[in-house]
Amino acid sequence: MRLSPSQHRQLRRQARIKRELTGWLFLGPMFAFFVVFLVVPVVGTVWWSTQVGGIVNGTHFVGLKNFQNLPDLVGATTAIQNTLVFALLSIPPILIGALAISLVLARIGRGAAAYRFFVYFPVLVPGVVAGLIWLFLTNVDFGLFNEVLRAVGIQPVTWLGSGSALGVLAALDVWRNVGYWAIFFVAAIIGLPQELYQAADLDGASTTKRFWYLTLPLMRRILFFAIVVSTIWGLQVFDTALVLTNGGPGTATTTIIFRVWQYVFGSNDKVGFAAAISLVLIAVILTLTLTQMRLLRSRRGDD
Amino acid sequence: MTASAEPRHGAPGALLVIAAEHARSRRRRRLRGLGKHAFLIVITFLLVAPFYYVVLASFKNSTEIFTYPPKLLPLPPFLGNYQKLLGDTGFLRWMLNTLFVAGTVTLIKVFMDSMAGYALAKLQITGKRAIFLLMLILLMVPLGALIVPLWALVHALGLTNTYFALILPPLANPLGVFLMRQFILGLPKDLENAGRLDGLSEFGIYRRIILPLIKPGLVVLAVIIFTDQFMSFIWPLIATSSDDLQVLTVGVAALRSHGGADYGLWSAAAVMSLVPIGVFFFVLQRQFLARSLAGALKQ
Amino acid sequence: MTSAATTTDSASGSQYAIEILGVTKRYGKITALGGVDLDIEPGEFVVLLGPSGCGKSTLLKIIAGLEDLTDGEVYIGGKLANYLKPSARDVAMVFQNYALYPHMTVRSNIGFPLKMAGRPRAEIEEQVAFAANLLQIASELDKYPDELSGGQRQRVALGRAIVRQPLAFLMDEPLSNLDALLRVQMRSELLRLHKRVGRTTVYVTHDQIEAMTMADRVVVMRNGLIQQIGPPDEVYRRPANRFVASFVGSPPMNILEGRIETADGRRRFVGPIPADLPGLAGATIDDGPAAIGIRSEELLLSSELAIGAFPAVIELVEPVGADIFLTANIEGGAIVTIRVDAETKVAEGDGVHVVTAPGATRIFDAAGDRVRLSGDPA
Repeated sequence: MRLSPSQHRQLRRQARIKRELTGWLFLGPMFAFFVVFLVVPVVGTVWWSTQVGGIVNGTHFVGLKNFQNLPDLVGATTAIQNTLVFALLSIPPILIGALAISLVLARIGRGAAAYRFFVYFPVLVPGVVAGLIWLFLTNVDFGLFNEVLRAVGIQPVTWLGSGSALGVLAALDVWRNVGYWAIFFVAAIIGLPQELYQAADLDGASTTKRFWYLTLPLMRRILFFAIVVSTIWGLQVFDTALVLTNGGPGTATTTIIFRVWQYVFGSNDKVGFAAAISLVLIAVILTLTLTQMRLLRSRRGDD
Repeated sequence: MTASAEPRHGAPGALLVIAAEHARSRRRRRLRGLGKHAFLIVITFLLVAPFYYVVLASFKNSTEIFTYPPKLLPLPPFLGNYQKLLGDTGFLRWMLNTLFVAGTVTLIKVFMDSMAGYALAKLQITGKRAIFLLMLILLMVPLGALIVPLWALVHALGLTNTYFALILPPLANPLGVFLMRQFILGLPKDLENAGRLDGLSEFGIYRRIILPLIKPGLVVLAVIIFTDQFMSFIWPLIATSSDDLQVLTVGVAALRSHGGADYGLWSAAAVMSLVPIGVFFFVLQRQFLARSLAGALKQ
Repeated sequence: MTSAATTTDSASGSQYAIEILGVTKRYGKITALGGVDLDIEPGEFVVLLGPSGCGKSTLLKIIAGLEDLTDGEVYIGGKLANYLKPSARDVAMVFQNYALYPHMTVRSNIGFPLKMAGRPRAEIEEQVAFAANLLQIASELDKYPDELSGGQRQRVALGRAIVRQPLAFLMDEPLSNLDALLRVQMRSELLRLHKRVGRTTVYVTHDQIEAMTMADRVVVMRNGLIQQIGPPDEVYRRPANRFVASFVGSPPMNILEGRIETADGRRRFVGPIPADLPGLAGATIDDGPAAIGIRSEELLLSSELAIGAFPAVIELVEPVGADIFLTANIEGGAIVTIRVDAETKVAEGDGVHVVTAPGATRIFDAAGDRVRLSGDPA
């Protein structure tokens, strides 16, 4: 070699620094926003959850006291409870319905584009607007639901009463999200290996058998992904609850984020509680995300 | 049936049987096809009926809305609800705000995300894997769970009640980076290498090779960001208190919570809110449907 | 054009087009290149030959500047290139998958490097037209790459390299994506082009026929190390080791295991067939395991009475046009391939006698390296 090792080392370091800088030039802008408006707030939530007071008037440190108080706060407990019930009510019908629709939609020739358009359209409705629309369905006097009931001779129902409001909210979510997962599953089904189906046809497998022994196992990962993601989304329900029921009647449809919003903007001194509940929500979401990542990775290792 | 031992004698009979079998299976297939269409038509009807009912209501005056049985075709249509919405409320302003904010966020993010995606896919960065994992982990954390620290941050930066408060926080969402990274990883390495040998800088490779080749991906990303932004509610609700800065969702929610029940106005607001996104969807159907698939890419 | 073996008497760096000094490449614990030295003369056509994973493509990418090296130096045109960016190295590359820009026409593809270099439009057009005529793609200039056939894409890729008028062309298995017929055609066209343009070319392939037909010098590589550098016929006839012997040539060289023994003060090879090794006495090889290598065309069918004839049983007869390949069992279980001409009348199961052509036997020591016999040329 004609250059000394130390000369090489220096030149190599210069080249590496230059390349590193180039990389950061590209990643930098996005990364800066990511850190400032996502990483910092997540960490900030931890800090705020140890505070008592209001955002504007100032706060002081109380350690884990907010978390100790959380179970005793009727508002917090109800909110968590409502959110979980909401998720349990909405997610199974969303995914099962989406799967049913997608199985039919994936195997249809004529009109597929039109069906897809209509099935997907509710997905694009903002939650606020969806809430407005459902006011017209659930109204006791002239709502579509009761008009239908009346037409078949059944007594009108108070849909947004305390017993059923959460269920209606879940139904709204099914209406709004079933199309998303249906289209998602259609793509997954179309992507399944066709040879397996041809082989199954040769073996004379019935449609039901093909579904249970072929489609479902092949879509295991996709379904798991859908369960996790729709759960995470379900836990965030807020805008439909605000517009359709305003969290009521009473606290019947007060969800976690609804309660956070109330703690922050409905009072001057509960910001610590808001952060504490938020942190619980974040922790649940992160756990779900990590489980998902781990499972997907280990499954991939099997292949 | 087909494997008859004596084809010549058995043939006519076998043919008849086969033909009958064929007809039956064709009929069965056609029936099953009809069944599929019937199922989808019912589903479509259930999903679309609410829209129809609201559109109907929006063309009725307040007494017609309460009439039973409901008029299925309000003729002549009553336009008062729309006049009131456009004349007496800030609806147009909200709409412009939404289009401005969503458009700006989309524009900035498509560029930033594709650059960051390129960096994560192809460039040398120490700790690239760790950064990627961190983004993946925080991908699902919603703005709604961060309103306390975000509000405090925006307040501290002196951005409350500015467009910046609406535009900056959504820029942090890492979803687009993943999509772009995935798209760019799919491009052959030799293309960039050819660019490098032909004298392109890294930025030149990004602009002249990567961007043109991932154009379909850019459109999908733009659709995702725009619709998410169009629908976003809780952060704009919290970030702004000034009427001038209200976006569509916040304004419409305010129609509901302030003042008395005005079903006519609400129905008009619901219909008008869906016009822009409906038009976009109609024009860019394929990209919108790909939005649903974007999730699959994350795996 | 310069050719023939180069010795390593480098005095000044500028004498060579490309010089590679002790180049090492490691990915973590894996060593892709374990210290490679290679000098390439101006105008020379050098083929890097080896099985996949031998490091040949890595070496080419290091020359191009598309890969970092862990250690060593690369000089291009006498200048240290280690830290130069690819476009500053005065080399042009032709990629295996052509790497044409799919969103640009053929015209823009070919002219792109000149445009990037800021050349005036008139000059670019002239150069593109020149290259297109040379490569017979003048009528395709306004098409997009996906409208072209594989051979045409290959020409466009060549055109993009040619217009740069670089010091050297680097070609990474450029013919491997073409079908067999086109490959042969493009091979001779590439050679013609090389003779016309006369630029230094480093050409990577795993196809030994390409190496034999095109190269001034072949560099045989394996496991990140150079096994042999030399003109094709030398690599074919005097392989440096058993790996080269079995990798170069089709069918591969017959290798027969045996031992070197000394008896009555005479050294000889004891193996499945009698070995004709007049130079063994003076060779530097110890007693012990060894092997001999004989090309299939150096085994001849003979009469039983010929000196050194050994019996064999034909197991398989494979006519390949002008020749027939015979797979024959010899006593002791060894198998050899014999190439005879198509007129030969043989059948499977025949018993035949075989002799080795005089001077055709090479000997490999226990480590697999060929041992220089006293009569061998330098």
